Amino acid sequence: MSEQQRTEEIVKPDLEFVKDVIASGGGDLKKCYQCSTCTVVCGMTPDDKPFPRKEMLYAQWGMKEKLISNPDIWLCHQCSDCTAYCPRGAKPGEVLGAVRKMAIQHYSPPSFLAKMVNDPKYLLVLLAIPTIIFLFLLHIQGYLFGEIPRNEFGKISFSKMLYPTFYIDPVFISAALFAVVSFVMGIKKYWADMAKNYPLPPGSDTTTSLVETIKEIISHNNFKKCNVTKERSTAHMLVFFSFIGLGITTTWAVFYLYILGRPSPYPLYDPMKIVGNISAIGLLIGITLVTNNRLKNALKAGKGGYYDWLFIVVIYVIAVTGILAQLTRLADIAPLAYTIYFIHLVFVFFLFAYAPFSKMAHMVYRTTAMVFARQAKRQ
Amino acid sequence: MAEQAETSLCRVVVVGGGFSGLTAAVDAAETGAEVVIVEKNPYLGGRVAQLNKYFPKMCPPMCGLEINFRRIKTNPLVTYHVASEIESISGKEGDFTVSIVKKPTFVNDNCVSCNACVDVCPVERANDFNFGLDKTKAIYLPFNQAMPFKYVIDTAVCKGASCAKCVEACKYNAIDLNMKPEKITIKANSVVLATGWNPYDATKMDNLSFGKVKNVITNMMMERLSSVNGPTAGQIKRPSDGKVVNNIAFVQCAGSRDENHLEFCSYICCMASLKQAQYIREQNPDSKVTIYYIDIRTPGKYEQFYWKVKEDANIQFIKGKVAKIEQASGDDVEVEAEDMASLKKIKTTHDMVVLATGMQPSGATLKVQGFKYTDEGFGIEDKGLYVAGCSKNPMDVSKSAQDATGAAMNALTSGQRR
Repeated sequence: MSEQQRTEEIVKPDLEFVKDVIASGGGDLKKCYQCSTCTVVCGMTPDDKPFPRKEMLYAQWGMKEKLISNPDIWLCHQCSDCTAYCPRGAKPGEVLGAVRKMAIQHYSPPSFLAKMVNDPKYLLVLLAIPTIIFLFLLHIQGYLFGEIPRNEFGKISFSKMLYPTFYIDPVFISAALFAVVSFVMGIKKYWADMAKNYPLPPGSDTTTSLVETIKEIISHNNFKKCNVTKERSTAHMLVFFSFIGLGITTTWAVFYLYILGRPSPYPLYDPMKIVGNISAIGLLIGITLVTNNRLKNALKAGKGGYYDWLFIVVIYVIAVTGILAQLTRLADIAPLAYTIYFIHLVFVFFLFAYAPFSKMAHMVYRTTAMVFARQAKRQ
Repeated sequence: MAEQAETSLCRVVVVGGGFSGLTAAVDAAETGAEVVIVEKNPYLGGRVAQLNKYFPKMCPPMCGLEINFRRIKTNPLVTYHVASEIESISGKEGDFTVSIVKKPTFVNDNCVSCNACVDVCPVERANDFNFGLDKTKAIYLPFNQAMPFKYVIDTAVCKGASCAKCVEACKYNAIDLNMKPEKITIKANSVVLATGWNPYDATKMDNLSFGKVKNVITNMMMERLSSVNGPTAGQIKRPSDGKVVNNIAFVQCAGSRDENHLEFCSYICCMASLKQAQYIREQNPDSKVTIYYIDIRTPGKYEQFYWKVKEDANIQFIKGKVAKIEQASGDDVEVEAEDMASLKKIKTTHDMVVLATGMQPSGATLKVQGFKYTDEGFGIEDKGLYVAGCSKNPMDVSKSAQDATGAAMNALTSGQRR
């Protein structure tokens, strides 16, 4: 930007954006008096154009464009070192968390759905969508008020309940496709905006920085630099790898069902079951650690907002109902087993279909920003 | 004292013998009131006695202090008790009963300050007057212009009767190791609280590494390092190796304007650092000074002092608070801040770093029974109970003096209100 342009640049405050940051956990934003203690104690920021001090100013002034198209907001891992040392209690960590939420809302289409996912008013509507779909599928199979489905061995079989090929899979495949399309559109726009503000060095290579970023995500090396909330990287790692484990399990099950033609349930000693169960327990422990850390650090790091807690609760429900569904199935308590499995499906749908708008989207946007930052030599 | 009481119209107890307390005492006494000063330290003068120069005139503080000492010495209406603390204040405006405990200093008025005791004393202690930058013996003179000009024994380290070498060495029978605490009860019309302040404990800012990284000192230590009667006879040399300081950094708002430490602006630290920058610039023409700040606060006429200091090309101002300090090689100090003007996170290395630590009212750590305090430890005024100087609000010496005069006026009306 030339000096000429710089002087002509006029700040157009977006007051709605400021109000939204304040409402989403950045309630103490206006206390910031720009001392930059936050930037100095931050272990994540690059030395050139460091964060989060300037981001605090942009947020106070409602400079939405400068914030949400900035890769730096995702380099922040919300360690809360800044928040703990902030002399004014302005909680920069929480403010950047709120800004990230709004970046997700801004980039993932359709925006009305993004608004609904982040507003507790619409929670029941969002839950009602999968509930009605699944109830309808149960109804057309005659299970809703009729017999309790059992397989040919007389056992509880969740695959019988919503027989996969024709009923359940199309629903989940469409939900997943919808999420993927929304994500692709979102990150394309995000990448273009970032490149406008931080021109990429000529000859820089996206593939290399993607590989480096994946290595970084797997090792959690940057996350481990946090001081105030040290244990968070362990908790996150557990949740992250459990998700990968569950992803592997799902693919494996698809292979059993569609390639080998073996329908569930599978015996507990089946290697796929072992991976699945370990991952489920890992997820439960991981998300419990996440919750504990959040509660323990609330005084120093802030309480978090609806957007943070919704994501945690959804993962909790998925982990608990998944484990309980299996236990009640093995105990042969049919109505309970099917009910719990039903709830499990509703929340899995919630997690995947709404992923581009919930905190789950951090997975995609953070990765994109990290790849960009590496390529732009900001990390 | 009993005979004085009959002649005066009013009696005022002043708690604290620093600049505010002395001013209140002298003003009240010269208006005809009888005044009793109660000072915790074994000497009068408080924080001002530790200062090298006043801002903005850059003149020696001992000058004004000595004038006040003289006014006290020559005024029969003023009595003072050093090494003394208030035990209790009871009663009401116009009729207070104040209990004072006078701690033994183990040296009586026979002392002529010949130093024979110090020569034989085998025990050393950190010199609190110089913030531990040097040592004294267990028997010591608080500083070279102390009032009273009398030696004191630090009971925390003195071996007592088992040693008693000083008692033998003293030709004037001035040392009495069996001296006991003395309790004094007096009636007073009003009480003025002028207990001043303490430098905020710099070890509490863990990221500023005071006490962990060598050659990180506080602004009050800098006053002592620059004072002719200080540990280096006024030569600004760094503590770890005595190297002459050529490149110094000042860290503003070290603990002030910070909800984790002192929630208020300490008012004097910006002026103090600008003043101390002059100390080093005058002593060493090649020296370089860097002042890291959030805002330079030089209220009122002090702004001109700031302008003058800014004209010096060897004094650099960087907007950005230092939030990390680490040891560099060769006992140097590395500070880290964001230079907001260039949008860069920078690390700079200095011979020595001064933390501009703020004023914590003494009420935060020691309260005078009978007075009410704010959460920060500032005294709150009540009928007949007045507060002066830095125990009321952070202020500089000239404002303390004005505030003390006001408190003296209030104290006088407590005795004379009709």
